[in-house]
Amino acid sequence: MQWVVSMVGIRQTPFARRGVSLFSAALLLLCHTIAVLAQTSNEKPVPILTGSAGYFTNVTGGQTELEPIVSPLVLLPLGDHWLIESRGEFEGDFERRNGNGPFGGGVDKEVEYLQADYIAISHVTVTVGRFLTPFGIFNERLYPIWIRSLQPLPLIFPIGTGSSNGAMLRGGFPVAPKVNINYAVYFSTLSTTNALDSERTAGGRVGFFLPGPRVEVGASFQKMLQDDRSHAVGFHFAWQPNSVPLNLRSEYARSTSLGSGYWIEAAYRLSQVPHWQSVMRRVEVVGRAQQFFASEYAPYYSSEYGLPAADTQEGDFGLNYFLRDGLKATASYGRQFSSWGNANQWSVGIAYRFAFPLGRMGAQ
Amino acid sequence: MKIPHMFMVALLAATSLGIFALAADNRKEASNSATVVSTTDQNEAMRIEGEKRFHANCGRCHAAPHKFSPRMMATIVRHMRVRATITDEDMRLILHYMTE
Repeated sequence: MQWVVSMVGIRQTPFARRGVSLFSAALLLLCHTIAVLAQTSNEKPVPILTGSAGYFTNVTGGQTELEPIVSPLVLLPLGDHWLIESRGEFEGDFERRNGNGPFGGGVDKEVEYLQADYIAISHVTVTVGRFLTPFGIFNERLYPIWIRSLQPLPLIFPIGTGSSNGAMLRGGFPVAPKVNINYAVYFSTLSTTNALDSERTAGGRVGFFLPGPRVEVGASFQKMLQDDRSHAVGFHFAWQPNSVPLNLRSEYARSTSLGSGYWIEAAYRLSQVPHWQSVMRRVEVVGRAQQFFASEYAPYYSSEYGLPAADTQEGDFGLNYFLRDGLKATASYGRQFSSWGNANQWSVGIAYRFAFPLGRMGAQ
Repeated sequence: MKIPHMFMVALLAATSLGIFALAADNRKEASNSATVVSTTDQNEAMRIEGEKRFHANCGRCHAAPHKFSPRMMATIVRHMRVRATITDEDMRLILHYMTE
């Protein structure tokens, strides 16, 4: 302490020493407070640009389609309770012109969601804006190309899904020591604006999740408040056993105007195969079986909603190879059986998930 | 004679006080050490529970990503809390696991 006293030129009296000691203690306390505050601020969320990009070659019934996709997602947290999030999708659809001509086509652009989330209490989040319609599990959870196990969408995917413009309440909370419940209820207005279109609907979804056996079962409901005022119901099931790297998922959906159907999918990671572990742990094999039962109105709605126009059965088999974090190569083959004609469906491509902080602070 | 007697009493008292203070200090050290061990154990328990919750909630849809910076993870976990409707407790434990 004496060197401090000497350095600042204070006379070495007991009073001066005590003053310097007090000053040093205060300085240490200040440094500690700053360190604690700095640590706290490090945990504050930062804006992020994330999303996925991919390139796929699809061959359906002998027709080749090149499909580049970019789907950026911006996350902007505000304070402790708010999150502004928006995801867009730019999807190319290039096919040969006149059979053997050069590839040509357009790029579809869509705002999939642009929503403000307010985490009101632990059980309730209020969402307003444009959001993914909570119907089943595929639309909200499995749709991104880097997540889905098979690139072709399930046949029943258009039933009850897409995007809605309006307001939603959602959340998840434990109802018993080993049971969590998750829910979403919403109202959507009619919008015919290009890239922001939506239908006037109301609906919701509820799911029961058992974290122990990793099982979720749930149901969805949607009521159309325009046109034919039809309604749709759906059920979903997901199971991820603890003992094997298997992911089993299934959905059923029925619409009074569009038809009904189901899909069941199993994805198995070969990480438990004892041979060639460095390769096998990166490989995932996938199988999916599905059926669609067209309604009597299906021929009128099929092109608008992207549904089959007739009863259809399909079996798909796929392989995913996880090259590194967020990057996977994917390939699949499917066979479609329909009264409108059978067809093979091939898909080969690559999907990548990216994530960057927006601003320098995010790298800390 | 009185002075040595008083001295002995004072010495005994001082020794007793010293032993008491030493014991108290040891108890304090032991308590501090127990607190450190307890905090470490608690952190480790939270990390293990967070990993379990991560696989139960996030692993249902996608493989585990590499760990991003704590501030990025705070944003990602908030996003996933809304998207996947995970519970408040799960979110806190997963964030703890992903930022450890």
